Amino acid sequence: MARSTPTYTPAGKYVLGGIISAALLIADLNYQTFSAARGLTQASGIYTQLILGNIVGYTSKISATFEDKKDLIATNQKLRDELLHMQNKIFLAQQLELTSKNILDVQEPLLKGNLEQESMQSLKIASFDLKNYLCCSSHTLYLRNPNKVDIADNLPVFNGHTFIGQTFGGDLNLVKVILLSDASHILPIKIKDFYCNARGAGRPLEIKCVVPQNSESSSLEVNDLALSSGLGGVFPNNIVIGKISSIIDNNLNEIEILIRLKGDPLQQNYFGISLSL
Amino acid sequence: MNFNGHIIIFASIFLGFWLDTIISSFDIRTHILILESVPYLAESCIGLLIFCYWVYAIPEKLQSSSALLYGLLIDLCFGDAIGFHMLFFVAISYVIHVYALRFRLFSYFQLIIFFAGAAVFYLACKYLIFSPINYSYLLLIFSFCINALAWLPIYFGMRYIRRRLI
Repeated sequence: MARSTPTYTPAGKYVLGGIISAALLIADLNYQTFSAARGLTQASGIYTQLILGNIVGYTSKISATFEDKKDLIATNQKLRDELLHMQNKIFLAQQLELTSKNILDVQEPLLKGNLEQESMQSLKIASFDLKNYLCCSSHTLYLRNPNKVDIADNLPVFNGHTFIGQTFGGDLNLVKVILLSDASHILPIKIKDFYCNARGAGRPLEIKCVVPQNSESSSLEVNDLALSSGLGGVFPNNIVIGKISSIIDNNLNEIEILIRLKGDPLQQNYFGISLSL
Repeated sequence: MNFNGHIIIFASIFLGFWLDTIISSFDIRTHILILESVPYLAESCIGLLIFCYWVYAIPEKLQSSSALLYGLLIDLCFGDAIGFHMLFFVAISYVIHVYALRFRLFSYFQLIIFFAGAAVFYLACKYLIFSPINYSYLLLIFSFCINALAWLPIYFGMRYIRRRLI
């Protein structure tokens, strides 16, 4: 009896297939060679889901016309959306007030009004990559951009209370947002008088700083507030990002400061993008 | 095998991966709402198990090129790094081809062990490549149990489909 059963395909073909796929994988992981194709297919998938969702929505709306609660549900939904929209606007107005104090005079209220209107886009969420959000390092979401507003990369995105991430390109009228907790995202923060670059921990609502152990870092305590430092040039300074959840001594003369983020991207359907901050 | 056969096989694999996504979304929502203090424990690999079933059931019809193509389509459809599923499908397809006839002698229990092991190997590679921070042996052990439980329903379900459609 043969030691192993015969194969239907020569091993050479499998080796060739393995080499091709390994080369593609390495090219994609190291150089993002196929990120455009991947983004396009993902965006197409999201569009398909949106279209299907719309069809389901319309169907359920038609059936809801026979129900008395239809108007109440619509009003409720509209009010919720308005509320979220307002929250974003108020937040942006506060930020504008803080950042434009030095550049806007009292004699230019009109200019400020225009700036407020044009400087914020409130966009509805299109897709949240939940699968990767908990398990993996990549934390992203897509926002709908039905008006095809030209939105540049690296603009701050907020949820009405604080910042949750920044824009990172887009495909087919969808804006891709990379969240603060994404492992590739780095946010310069300050805690009291201590500054550090906080990298996303790859876990929900968590970022971390790994810093040398010295007198400044040793003074930090759990529950200290972490604020944006403004040094990265993307986010304005002095916005509460989160608070220290734990401080771990890794015995290499370094400490790991874990920060629990304040802004939970799962809590809202609308996010604001600041075009002027 | 004709084109329709490939469409049916790919559709079943696609549905498997889609189901994995739905299950993990549900898992994650539950995890976030209820079990936030507990580590993320299990991940199903229904899509991979369905692919394994097809190679196991009709090895003479699914060869390296099919594995490569299915892998590419899955990578594209689910936004994974291009090449990951291609590489894994080709590798698992080769192993199944080599032992194709020997598998016929295996009991259900032995098949469960082998395919759940393959699924765990896939998960381990996935976490090591894409998210080494979240790599956990506990997750692999629980996932082994989940995928072992999933194998028999997939086996009988796919066999039912194969006998009627392919």
